[in-house]
Amino acid sequence: MEKSEQERRDPVCGMNLTGLLETFEEKIDGEAFYFCSEPCAKRFKTDPKKFQGDPMIHLHDLWKVFHDGSVTTEVLRAINVHIWKGDFTVIIGASGSGKSTLLNMIGMLDRPSSGGLFFEGRDIAATSDDDRTILRSSKFGFVFQQYNLIPWLTAYDNVLLPRVFAEAKGDMSREHIEKHFSDIGLGERMNHRPTELSGGEQQRVAILRALANDPEVIIGDEPTGNLDSTTGNKILDMLIKLNKEEGRTLIIVTHDVDIAKNADQVIVIKDGKTIPSHARHTKIYAE
Amino acid sequence: MLKDFLLLVLKGIRYRPMRSWLTVIGIVIGIMLVVIILALSSGVKNVINQQLQMFGSDLLIILPGKETSIVTGLLGGQKFTYNDIMDLEKLPGVKSVAPFDVGSMNADFKGEKKSVLVHSSRWDKMSALFLESRGTRMAEGVWPTDEGANEVVLGYLAGKSLFKNSARVGDEIIVQSKRFRVAGILQRTGEQTDDNSFYMSWDMFHMISGVNPGVVTAMLRMQPGENINLVTRQIRFQLEKQTEVTDFTILTPEKTTAIVGSIVQIVELVLVIIAFVSLVVGAVGIMNTMYTSVLERTKQIGIMKAVGASRDSIMSLFLIESGIIGLVGGVFGILLGLAVSYGISVAAMNFGAPSLFSFVSIDYFELVVILIITFITGVLSGLFPARAASRLEPAEALRYE
Repeated sequence: MEKSEQERRDPVCGMNLTGLLETFEEKIDGEAFYFCSEPCAKRFKTDPKKFQGDPMIHLHDLWKVFHDGSVTTEVLRAINVHIWKGDFTVIIGASGSGKSTLLNMIGMLDRPSSGGLFFEGRDIAATSDDDRTILRSSKFGFVFQQYNLIPWLTAYDNVLLPRVFAEAKGDMSREHIEKHFSDIGLGERMNHRPTELSGGEQQRVAILRALANDPEVIIGDEPTGNLDSTTGNKILDMLIKLNKEEGRTLIIVTHDVDIAKNADQVIVIKDGKTIPSHARHTKIYAE
Repeated sequence: MLKDFLLLVLKGIRYRPMRSWLTVIGIVIGIMLVVIILALSSGVKNVINQQLQMFGSDLLIILPGKETSIVTGLLGGQKFTYNDIMDLEKLPGVKSVAPFDVGSMNADFKGEKKSVLVHSSRWDKMSALFLESRGTRMAEGVWPTDEGANEVVLGYLAGKSLFKNSARVGDEIIVQSKRFRVAGILQRTGEQTDDNSFYMSWDMFHMISGVNPGVVTAMLRMQPGENINLVTRQIRFQLEKQTEVTDFTILTPEKTTAIVGSIVQIVELVLVIIAFVSLVVGAVGIMNTMYTSVLERTKQIGIMKAVGASRDSIMSLFLIESGIIGLVGGVFGILLGLAVSYGISVAAMNFGAPSLFSFVSIDYFELVVILIITFITGVLSGLFPARAASRLEPAEALRYE
């Protein structure tokens, strides 16, 4: 497993360790492994076999460059990230750091300019639009900061929207959905349009919609960003429950350092690059 | 899947009723014009066919002037002599000949003065022509028999509505300062000019008009079962011997139909071009709306793509929407077009031109074709905007505010 200095990568978080002043070395069964930080090394030891396999999502030297006339902006620069199945990952960074763009790459909402993007071992960076659509609709559920409900559809129709475009998966009978609405306290609001719902209510509807296709991965782009702290916490609890109790992989982009406390992995991004280690740099970021 | 798409689109259309209806109205106006034009052109065809049928298949019309310039011939003032035309009656295969002269004269009825068109022939020729070729009888009174009497016959409208007071048999009417007695009023023939005309004996007409006597038009009826080409050749041979009129035309029913047909074709072509242009205008309207709609809904396209809509799905949604707009525009356009045509046909009837706008004669197959065309126009108009919408990357669309 030992690799040359140039190719050395953290098997847990995927970070390229080349040029890092401080790396952690662990010897397991006589084999040397290198990590960006102590927490990564600790995690590795919990299940070395798993972390030597393929992560669910793998970004490999991924770049995203935007061109606007003669202006070129490198939003993501040589990003290396591993996301493991069932993990709760938090992507944290300041405004304009590239965290939402990174999330769009992970959720296949955008294409990288270069580099590798793998889902369950399959390279999807250059795959066709239709293949990405199928993968996206069957594996991913999205929750956005702006809720992004379709304004002309009722809450009920919004939840059913993914089913219009994809094959049915799981029970989507009206009774079943009604029960879900009741469970999140919106039993009486099913036939309301988004404009007739509060922010928190809209976000709960958006979460139900994200679950419509029973996805393995839930992606939240600042899902609590537009909500007051009480409502935000409730929404966050709902999402974390989906991760902890149902085992769905949860990836959230946020400004909020507190959210990172419950995460299995924290990716800190600054000026389009990930910063090594989680807890350590989360602290730096907070400071 | 299609049902779900349709429902989704309908909900979207209902959410923006104003914009949707305005686009529909663009199509409605275009299609309404097309339907009115169809009604008019089929009405014109009907009127012409009715007129042609009235004359029957055994009637030949002889006119001065070349075939290619009949109107110039008529305006040129050339006339056949009465005797040259009446001699045609002696040809084998010819049943009867009615010579006609025409002129505009001043008429005065109960102090009201009007300029009227006066046709003249021999009374027996006129009565036979009206009865045999059109089945037109007297509505009131009888045909006069005395060629020298001061008597006049009025067309139906000339008697009923040309003057403020309706004329009656026995009334006195002054034509070119000479007193005439109304001997009869004809039934309606359906032909505007004939219904508004006066009819006078040959001798009286030439006495008061002061124009050179002569035949402007001759109506020639063949014996039943005669070979039309043979009879026409004989007439031509005979008329070429006379010297008054150098060029003349013999209109057979087929020839008349062909001439009229070619005029109708030109009229139809012009109308079709107008209809096409109005459809194009409607299509540009749909395209404009769909492009605006794509821009307005860029973010929603992003949402739909995020939750699993493929390129084809987005494309289908927009095409269904533009197709529906086209179709609804087509349906309302046709209904409105029919209503307006009906209104005009009723008005035209009151003005004495029945069936000019033939509401009932519209071919329903044409309407179905119009509906299909509007749907296709709608779909095609939505094609480019839909393509643009479907090609957006979800993230790019979601960023759009």
